[in-house]
Amino acid sequence: MKVVASYNVKGGVGKTTAAVNLAYLASARGRRTLIWDLDPQGAATYLFRVKPKVKGGSAKLVGGARPVEAALKGTDFHGLDLLPADFTYRNMDLDLARSHRKAGKAARALARLLRDLADDYDVVFLDTPPSLSLVSENVLRAADLVLVPIIPTVLALRTFDQLAEFVDTLDRDRPRLHAFFSMADRRKALHREIIADLPRRREGVSPTAIPALSVIEQMAVRRAPLPAYAPNSPAARAFESLWSEIAELLPA
Amino acid sequence: MLNDRRTRGFQQVNYNRPNSVRSSPGFAAVPKDSHPPSLHWRGEPTRGEAEAVLAALEPVTASRYELSVGPRRVRTVTYLDTVDWRLRGKGLVASHERASGPGTLTIDGDGVSGTTRLTELPQWPARVEQLPEGEARDGMASAMWVRAVGPVLRSRAVTREVAVLDDEGKTVVRLDWAEVTGIDPVATPPLVRVSLWPVLGYGRDAKRVRKALRAAEGFADVDGDLYDGLLTAAGIVPEEAAAPAITREMPADVAIATALHGFAGVIAVNVNGVLDDIDTEFLHDLRVAVRRTRSLLKLAGDVLPPRLVARYEPDFKWLGDITTPTRDLDVYLLEFDALTAMLVAGEPDDLAPFGELLRAEREKARRTLARALRSQRFTRLIEGWQAALAEIIDRERSEAELSAEALAGQRVRRMVKKVVRRARSITPESPSESVHDLRKRCKELRYLLEVVKPVCDEAAHRAVIKDLKKVQDILGAFQDGEVQSESLRGFAERLQAGNRRPPAATLLAMGELSAGFVDMQLRARHDLTEALERFLGPATHERIKALLP
Ligand SMILES: Nc1ncnc2c1ncn2[C@@H]1O[C@H](COP(=O)(O)OP(=O)(O)OP(=O)(O)O)[C@@H](O)[C@H]1O
Ligand SMILES: [Mg+2]
Repeated sequence: MKVVASYNVKGGVGKTTAAVNLAYLASARGRRTLIWDLDPQGAATYLFRVKPKVKGGSAKLVGGARPVEAALKGTDFHGLDLLPADFTYRNMDLDLARSHRKAGKAARALARLLRDLADDYDVVFLDTPPSLSLVSENVLRAADLVLVPIIPTVLALRTFDQLAEFVDTLDRDRPRLHAFFSMADRRKALHREIIADLPRRREGVSPTAIPALSVIEQMAVRRAPLPAYAPNSPAARAFESLWSEIAELLPA
Repeated sequence: MLNDRRTRGFQQVNYNRPNSVRSSPGFAAVPKDSHPPSLHWRGEPTRGEAEAVLAALEPVTASRYELSVGPRRVRTVTYLDTVDWRLRGKGLVASHERASGPGTLTIDGDGVSGTTRLTELPQWPARVEQLPEGEARDGMASAMWVRAVGPVLRSRAVTREVAVLDDEGKTVVRLDWAEVTGIDPVATPPLVRVSLWPVLGYGRDAKRVRKALRAAEGFADVDGDLYDGLLTAAGIVPEEAAAPAITREMPADVAIATALHGFAGVIAVNVNGVLDDIDTEFLHDLRVAVRRTRSLLKLAGDVLPPRLVARYEPDFKWLGDITTPTRDLDVYLLEFDALTAMLVAGEPDDLAPFGELLRAEREKARRTLARALRSQRFTRLIEGWQAALAEIIDRERSEAELSAEALAGQRVRRMVKKVVRRARSITPESPSESVHDLRKRCKELRYLLEVVKPVCDEAAHRAVIKDLKKVQDILGAFQDGEVQSESLRGFAERLQAGNRRPPAATLLAMGELSAGFVDMQLRARHDLTEALERFLGPATHERIKALLP
């Protein structure tokens, strides 16, 4: 089982959009897939039309009092399940710290929970809230691959560098980083420049850019993954090539 | 509500089984090999028309749900099995489904499920090696054994998937509406069923939906799966047609004629399978019926009109003889891989020329056999024999005749005495002819016991057969060892004499096999002494006494 996190400290950069579409594509390509919506806002959960509710909430879940399996929901898509968000996830940092005395354990609690699902899924996507917290550290440690959506601006690049530095400090659980350009606007010269230049100069930056398109924005209206309602759109193609890259980095 | 927009996520859902590729826990909520709860629809068939299906399912919406119809699908489903229902015996259902293109082959049953997409239309009947490689074949191979599968029933399935949506528009239960009509060998009225596939994490909704449907007028619970329903509707009884059994009160000759008539029936039904070379068991079953016939004629033929017996006995000997070469070669070929695996010194490939010789000889033998089975002699034999027996079975009966039970008692006792006498006389030094003789008598006793089974005490019968079988197995190994090592000599000579001289390695490997067979014979000879001691002990004696009044 491979774990892919969609993560960025910044908000509104396309984390959820990427996690939902890539999870959909992974399952459509035959991988048994789970997506865990760790964001108490529950955007991914909303997109799958599932109610943001986990019985017992974050405390029971991260404390191990309730099995992860009990909270799973089958999505409308074949081979794709969801672990929904719950409003109590906003306390997950506290719950993690509280239920695990040792800091080392608290930082690896999510990884441990995921291990229970190892026989059931080939790949698990983690959709994360924008923050740098104990939850984020858990996510980074649990992940084999961290997908980082970046908007092609200089400032956004700086945050990516900071993340890379932080990940370097992780001892044994160091995930691979894979950044990609999100909401790329071809009409903006700076965007074009960065997209053309950076993947060549910088390791771990995908040559695939997800364009800024209204068909992607429509996901919230349709409440469905993009490739499910616009399979042949250029936007869906872009996510497909992103998934192909990831699939190669994560041999089944 | 008709909402096509929301059907985009539908995968093709099979109407009577879990989609085998659904292996994520999302679908594993239903134990993998169990079927979803199904309900039977008693109303008018809908032909899968959306409006009609939605109208029928209306009770679901009353509480809190909306329905969204998926596409209507039409396909033919051909259910497969061996002539002796081996798959069914193992709780397996094999089917070939197609809409357009060659379709898929699916196996489903206790702990087994698999689907194989076909690249060309399959030909039926097919033996394991003729089936396309894949999950489906793997799932049915051991149950099929050496037998071929062919169509049992062909049906046309019209299905419609309907999603039950909650207030978020999320699918919480999937309903499969299926109307299935038998088309071949008989047309049946449509069976209409709706299956409920729960979605992971929405078990409560599944329960609620099921309850709503069960409470509705048009629906009723069903037992058994769709296949069962279709078989019943088509009047197909999934078991081998049992020949009418003899009864205690039957006059002796009627009883013997009844048993013989049964064997003749077995011969007759297997002929086409032999001619078409569907699988090797057709010939085997035919031969067993011939042996049983001959054995019964020998042991109890005297109760039948002497002219009749005299007329047919030689014919059955002929029939037995003409089938022998093909069967012997079949056995060799069936065992070929096992033989190859026996080699210690030789390499498996060494035997390849031998394998080729076997296949060539078998093909020749089979052609000769086919000619014989198409001959007038055979047709007259089987038809005349069946007619003559039927006449005896239907004859006028009177009170004072020897009963089947009395005859059975008499003949079994006589046969047991013979077997016991021969068994007693066997010592470790006895020549192999005596052992062969014992083997033949045991076989006769076994056949006789099988014929008279219905008039015997059941428990005693089972026990006697079990004892006898142990001895027979050893005697069989003894015989096989001898026959095989001898016939290997013949094969080797023919290989040598052929125009393509075999490599020395082939002959050496055959020599190794031969030594193996001799060894098997020696071991059987050794085991025999002990087995006979047990067989001749007091326990067997008691059981035989209990067998018949
Ligand atoms: N490529 C794109 N083109 C146009 N709109 C996009 C694109 N990617 C994302 N959006 C839109 O931008 C908004 C933010 O995207 P998204 O929710 O995926 O970001 P996020 O990083 O998960 O945000 P948050 O940090 O709030 O969780 C959404 O309304 C989404 O529909
Ligand atoms: Mg988000």
